[in-house]
Amino acid sequence: MNQIIHILKFKFLLFIRPDAMLSFRILFKNIGSGLTYTGFAIGAYFFSQTIIHFLLNDLKIGLFLLHQLISIILFIFFISVNVGNIIVSYATLYKSNEIHYLFTKPIEPTKIFFIKFLDNFFYSSSTLLMILFSFLAGYIVDFKLSIAVLFLLVFNFIPFMLSAGSLGVIILLVIIRLGNRFGLRKVIAVLAFFYILSIILFFEKSSPKTIVDSMLKYNQISVRDLHLVQLLPLKIKIMPNNWLAETAYWLVRGNLSYALSFTYLQVVLSFVLFVAAILLGRKWYLKTWLLNLDHSDINPSGQSAVKSFVSFNKKSFLKSQWEAIIKRDLILFIREPSQVIHFLVLLFLIIVFIISASGIKFVGIGNFYLQTMIYLSLFLFDLLFITTLSLRFIFPLISLEGETFWKVKSSPISFNTLLICKTSVISTIILLISLSLSYFSNVRLGYFMTIYSVIITLFAALTIMSVNFGLGGIFKNYKEKNAIRLSSSQGATITFLINIIYMLFLIALLFKPLSQMFLSFSLTREFQYGVFILPILLITLISIVMIVIFLRFASSSIKEDI
Amino acid sequence: MLELKNLIKKFGAFTAVNKIDLEINSGQLFGFLGPNGAGKTTTIKMIVGLLEPSEGNIFLDGVDIWKEQIKCKMKIGYIPDQPFLYDKLTGREYLYFSGGLFNLQKDFLKDKIEQLAETLKIGNWIDKRCEEYSQGMRQRIVIASAFLHDPELIIIDEPMIGLDPQSAFLVKKLFVEKIMNGSIIFMSTHSLNVVEDICTHVGIINRGNIIFNDTIDALRALKLQNKHNLEELFIQLTNEEE
Repeated sequence: MNQIIHILKFKFLLFIRPDAMLSFRILFKNIGSGLTYTGFAIGAYFFSQTIIHFLLNDLKIGLFLLHQLISIILFIFFISVNVGNIIVSYATLYKSNEIHYLFTKPIEPTKIFFIKFLDNFFYSSSTLLMILFSFLAGYIVDFKLSIAVLFLLVFNFIPFMLSAGSLGVIILLVIIRLGNRFGLRKVIAVLAFFYILSIILFFEKSSPKTIVDSMLKYNQISVRDLHLVQLLPLKIKIMPNNWLAETAYWLVRGNLSYALSFTYLQVVLSFVLFVAAILLGRKWYLKTWLLNLDHSDINPSGQSAVKSFVSFNKKSFLKSQWEAIIKRDLILFIREPSQVIHFLVLLFLIIVFIISASGIKFVGIGNFYLQTMIYLSLFLFDLLFITTLSLRFIFPLISLEGETFWKVKSSPISFNTLLICKTSVISTIILLISLSLSYFSNVRLGYFMTIYSVIITLFAALTIMSVNFGLGGIFKNYKEKNAIRLSSSQGATITFLINIIYMLFLIALLFKPLSQMFLSFSLTREFQYGVFILPILLITLISIVMIVIFLRFASSSIKEDI
Repeated sequence: MLELKNLIKKFGAFTAVNKIDLEINSGQLFGFLGPNGAGKTTTIKMIVGLLEPSEGNIFLDGVDIWKEQIKCKMKIGYIPDQPFLYDKLTGREYLYFSGGLFNLQKDFLKDKIEQLAETLKIGNWIDKRCEEYSQGMRQRIVIASAFLHDPELIIIDEPMIGLDPQSAFLVKKLFVEKIMNGSIIFMSTHSLNVVEDICTHVGIINRGNIIFNDTIDALRALKLQNKHNLEELFIQLTNEEE
């Protein structure tokens, strides 16, 4: 135990210690971070208040349905923390230099596992908790609840997230253990299949449409406020996201004992999963760590694919400098399994989204307000996909040059060429994906809206990618070799928040013309598309300014001393 | 005593280390030589617990290192070729941290750090953060951290990387003092001068096999017999194997 406390003490010291030299740039970065966090916290607070107010007072969906929707959001949140922990844990438990260092010291592997697990969990979850705090603050203010309820909800969130994290580590240990026996690719493929299948099944079972349809049988609006838990399938009832939603529901209704019963379940589950993760770690961590080390020594992953795909032996139509940078980045990408897996998972989600979005009919659903909200939600999803892809694959680009950047910097290659080479492939992919998303979610609304949204998405994608590239430069860390850790660093979080602010700006500009358009459609009146001109002009202007500013950030950060 | 018995490490079909048998006694400084990719670092990683042997055993004072890992690690000091330091810690903090991992008492640690700071001449910058250190400074801090707990066995992978001549001299002096006090040093290096200067015994590994294992005097005799300098002899020995 002393050893654990000793290591945690130094970990805490490392965490709180600021950067060594307080320069203007670092000061600017820290003030900017503080302002962005504060701005986002305030935004999240008002957003949660507004959306709850809208759903309860304008759409009159009732408390129960509101909490079922919250439960679905919590499920997505659980999956995000879970997948995030699988990927980050792989990097920190198996790949980091620190682990190599600790394994040469007289420390039980279980202790190393325990420390790194906590390190991981707090590293990747602390920002989420901070954001959650703001959302919850908005929630309790809207329902006029006491501050004690806020802390009780936060107290519920910690075991909820711990369950997701513990489950993530358990899955990771199983993957590596079974991977050695049956082949890593096969095991990942099978597990990914079941994982995705279970997510699909969850959405089948918990479809808001099914719940709404069931509730409509109870025609009176007042009945919608009742706790209609009997409408939920058992599989949904026993899930931690549902327990958390139930806790919130009963707290709003003022029934503390019911709320606490769900808190109890939450804590018990997280304890069981945490203990299971630690016991499994005790049994398998050292073994899987050694297996993984053996594997990485003999298995230059993706080499066969590289031979046929981006081999340097092959002749290329590209200029030699372009070929060198692009092929190097592609080879490094292909040889890092976590990069490829994450990219494929995101691609899968995008395909599911495209298929779902193309089937949505806006006109004829509810009132024009609801139609506008659905349209903007889809647009927001599209932007979130662009942001996620950019954050994951563009933000780390400059940092990933790493400590071997001297090689490129001492070569006769211009900085502009370097910038273009580094971004060209991934930007093209993200642009294609985002424009496809935009096209398929607007195609049912006619030519004008399709072209209009494609143009808006084009500017949005270019802006978001520039923001990520520029801030990736500002927050560069040449010592971090792991793209996932870079994408979940403090700098990345700030970048994400700035992206969110930009998205809110787009939505604020588009809300009025869109609601006017859907109102005209509802009333079958002719609509004057001219109202869309001013927003697109403003979006174009602001986007171009942002693109120029953030690309300059990237350019100047590349030129800085290594 | 450090014993490597029939030690084998395979990566898939590739055998990196093939049936190595070595015995190194207290007071010996064993220089481990070999061309790049010969199996030196793999052997070292097996001794310090970073790679599990495919076959064979490693014993420290008769105890199997892989069966009693914690007990054996308490007796080992390891200096890797690419040392890991926490950039935000100062050198002194890093040493306190390392010492804590070996459960050393604070008072003992304090004195020991002062003593090593004096020996390795690191006192002037020990309170600066590691991120400000040059490669040689980092290397000296790592060397100091490996000696904190007075290990019986010191494993070193390329000790002289980045060290200026003065520092290299200090480090060599420290190594010699340690073996005089009964420690064992197992040192992998490419520097033949260092081997000639301080090693008592030498092993040469090539393609995973030990091709020479004797005292430094025996190597010198072989050198004279073949009328070679050590560099030429090393090249001849490793080429013969190919």
